[in-house]
Amino acid sequence: MKKMMNQLGESMKTARRWQNASKAAIAVSALSFLASCAKDAPQDTWQPAGPNAERIDNLQRPVFYVAGIVGVIVFAAVAWVIFRYRDRGQAIPEQTHGKPALEIVLTVIPVLILLGVAIPTAGTIFKLAKTSDTEMTINVTGQQWWWEYDYPAAGSNAEQYGITAPIVTSGQLVIPENTKVLLRVTSRDVIHSYWIPKLNGKKDSVPGRVHLLRMEGSKPGIYAGQCTEFCGLSHAYMRMEAVVLSRADYDKWVANQLEPYKAPEAGTEAAAGEALFIQQCSRCHQVNGLANPDGSLIISAPDQYLVSGAAPNLTNLMTRNTFAGASWDLLTPECRDNVWNASSAYFGERYLDGVSADCLNQKDLREWLRNAPAKKPMYADPTKLTTTGGKYRGMPALGLTEDQINTIIAYLLERK
Amino acid sequence: MITTSSKLFYGLGAVSVTAAIVWTIANDGGALGAVALVFIGIASIFLGAIASYVRDGHVLSTDTAQHDSAPAAQRGPGRSWFPLGTALSLGMVVVGLVTSPGIFKVGIALLLAMLGEWLIQNWSDRASADAGYNERVRGWVVHPLEIPIGGALLLGAIVLSFSRIFLALSAEAGPIVFAILGALVLFFGSVLSIRRGVSRGVVGALCGIVLVALSGVGIATALSGERQELTVASAEDHYAVHPCGEEAEEYDGSAGRAVSAKSSVAATVTLKDGVLYAEMDGFSGPLSSITLQRSLNADILFQNEDAGMHRMIVTYGKTVEDLGGGVKKETVLQTCTAMIGQGGAQQIVVRIPKPSFASDVPYTITASGIEGASIEVMVP
Ligand code: HEC
Ligand SMILES: [Cu+2]
Repeated sequence: MKKMMNQLGESMKTARRWQNASKAAIAVSALSFLASCAKDAPQDTWQPAGPNAERIDNLQRPVFYVAGIVGVIVFAAVAWVIFRYRDRGQAIPEQTHGKPALEIVLTVIPVLILLGVAIPTAGTIFKLAKTSDTEMTINVTGQQWWWEYDYPAAGSNAEQYGITAPIVTSGQLVIPENTKVLLRVTSRDVIHSYWIPKLNGKKDSVPGRVHLLRMEGSKPGIYAGQCTEFCGLSHAYMRMEAVVLSRADYDKWVANQLEPYKAPEAGTEAAAGEALFIQQCSRCHQVNGLANPDGSLIISAPDQYLVSGAAPNLTNLMTRNTFAGASWDLLTPECRDNVWNASSAYFGERYLDGVSADCLNQKDLREWLRNAPAKKPMYADPTKLTTTGGKYRGMPALGLTEDQINTIIAYLLERK
Repeated sequence: MITTSSKLFYGLGAVSVTAAIVWTIANDGGALGAVALVFIGIASIFLGAIASYVRDGHVLSTDTAQHDSAPAAQRGPGRSWFPLGTALSLGMVVVGLVTSPGIFKVGIALLLAMLGEWLIQNWSDRASADAGYNERVRGWVVHPLEIPIGGALLLGAIVLSFSRIFLALSAEAGPIVFAILGALVLFFGSVLSIRRGVSRGVVGALCGIVLVALSGVGIATALSGERQELTVASAEDHYAVHPCGEEAEEYDGSAGRAVSAKSSVAATVTLKDGVLYAEMDGFSGPLSSITLQRSLNADILFQNEDAGMHRMIVTYGKTVEDLGGGVKKETVLQTCTAMIGQGGAQQIVVRIPKPSFASDVPYTITASGIEGASIEVMVP
């Protein structure tokens, strides 16, 4: 064995190899350095945009620096020892065992460093777990592969924010700025995890349990996130956004969400779309207020068709600007840019405009309606549902014609 | 050169590769198992090659004189009880075949273990003329398996005995017995560790006696059965969901004490002084109206703080079934707890499939026998 090692050592010593190795090392470190300064990084934990995320940032920066300095010292020491005491055929030096003073010092220093990290960490954990200062409460429910939000009409939601009836949306969480929002995170099927990196850390969403997560945004804007617990086929397409609005804009948003249903005018393309929607879509998707010609309300039955028992509520689809697990835009690139990159003074106004006919991203929405599972992998092939008792995971392909899609889109455009 | 220790690896490699071929044929080209087996084969052959190359780490390859004279080349006789074990487990397999599949499975496992041990014993006996060395060689191969498996079995026996004992003891006596046993273990442990003179044999014998006593009591309590409440609860299928009104004698006297029930429920509903109120994480103070998600299995914990037996009833609309000929059958949708006595609690799972605006009457949570106590349930 020793002989083999020696041989290995010999060949490693050749200058060319050293050169190659150092070249590779420089390339790798340069690459990771460059990767760390990406400009457009919507999910960058180093750019907090709210007090909770700032708390985490205030903790992780010093820890990162301390760890970095310790790391550099250790690597330098190891490199120096490797070089200084490399095998040059010298005799093996005298072997000793134990040096209490040194050992104690080398134990005490890390203990002190770790204590220095642990105390502020514990403080931060407690601050992030605080719920007594909550100003608004929102239920967040994960399922394969999208997030549902509902705003209970109780407590301060009703008293201070005018949420007099429950509001349900999906994909985009809308919250007022500088408000201590508490999310009650749970799941309808498997474990997911809710994470908006610029606003707070992540929290697992576990079926049968309600986990609490603080959310607060300091200025209006859209903050991106994604599910961070592997949850099946389309985990990568389970994204979400938090939308922070000024208080005045938020009140407008609430009022709009609570507005009663307005049926399309008779004879329009949208009216044809409504009829088709009732026929094709409303067994899964709820549109609040949608009624049969005889006036009876249409109540969807997603629990009969879907494993999770839920499909996105489409009452106000066009007030959000992404869809299907926030994976595609409802806005064309120019219109999107206009909203997403607006300064905080204009952001709210533009977000509240929702999606207009001119701004609708026809391409992605049409592809979705034409064949949803082709766009986002889902277990939605009717011939392969034996293990789920005939229930889908996700939206199936419905075989709509292009004309039918036109009418459906005309109808959906009025849902805002 | 095929050395003593390399034989094992080469053999394993050959068996794995053969097994991979057989597997592929038997599974109609199913690849996963074959890939695993081929990898085991490659790994074994690789280890065998290393063993050959370093001549088991004992004999220099250039030192040909050693090839016959080295201890590793000598034969040693062996005595072993594994043939006996093999015969006994074979008997167990046969007995299991005619009596119960459980015994059969244990027999098969034992048989495989005995054969494996026998094989390795046989191989190690021949490793050299040095019996001590042979014993060590055997240890290197089998201890990584023997010790953890033996330890796990021992631990399993202890855990199983303990659980049987505590399921048979009454709920009040359990903690007391546990505390006393814990104190005894701590006491004797401390004494033994302080007194240096105590021999290994004494400690071993003591542990042996305790183990035998523990399993004895464990077997006795397992045969005598669980305590009364548990027997009743399982006879009533207490953990299943019952239709409202069906009576059950047992309820969780202390669900509120169980961590799983106490933490992270969707809502806690309490009946106190004739008033029913709800508490939910994220809302301050008692609530008279709660919002539950649609089609979500929501855990609700009901606590009765009032005198008398009460149940919590969650009502969420009704279904209408058309039986034909103008006859309609209405079913009220309800989920209930059992009748709960004062200080008791029970957690139930409620799943409401339709939004509350689908119903003419509000969804509610009420308590049986209490007029006017009601919580509104909103479902978006
Ligand atoms: C079998 C149930 C089912 C039917 C029928 C169905 N959908 Fe869906 N739909 C879903 C599910 C589930 C999702 C969520 C998929 C995801 O994002 O992973 C969805 C998502 C959507 C979305 C994105 C919503 C959002 O907020 O992200 C739209 C838009 C949509 N469906 C439109 C329709 C239309 C229009 C029809 C009728 C032509 C229809 N769906 C029929 C189950 C269904
Ligand atoms: Cu997920």
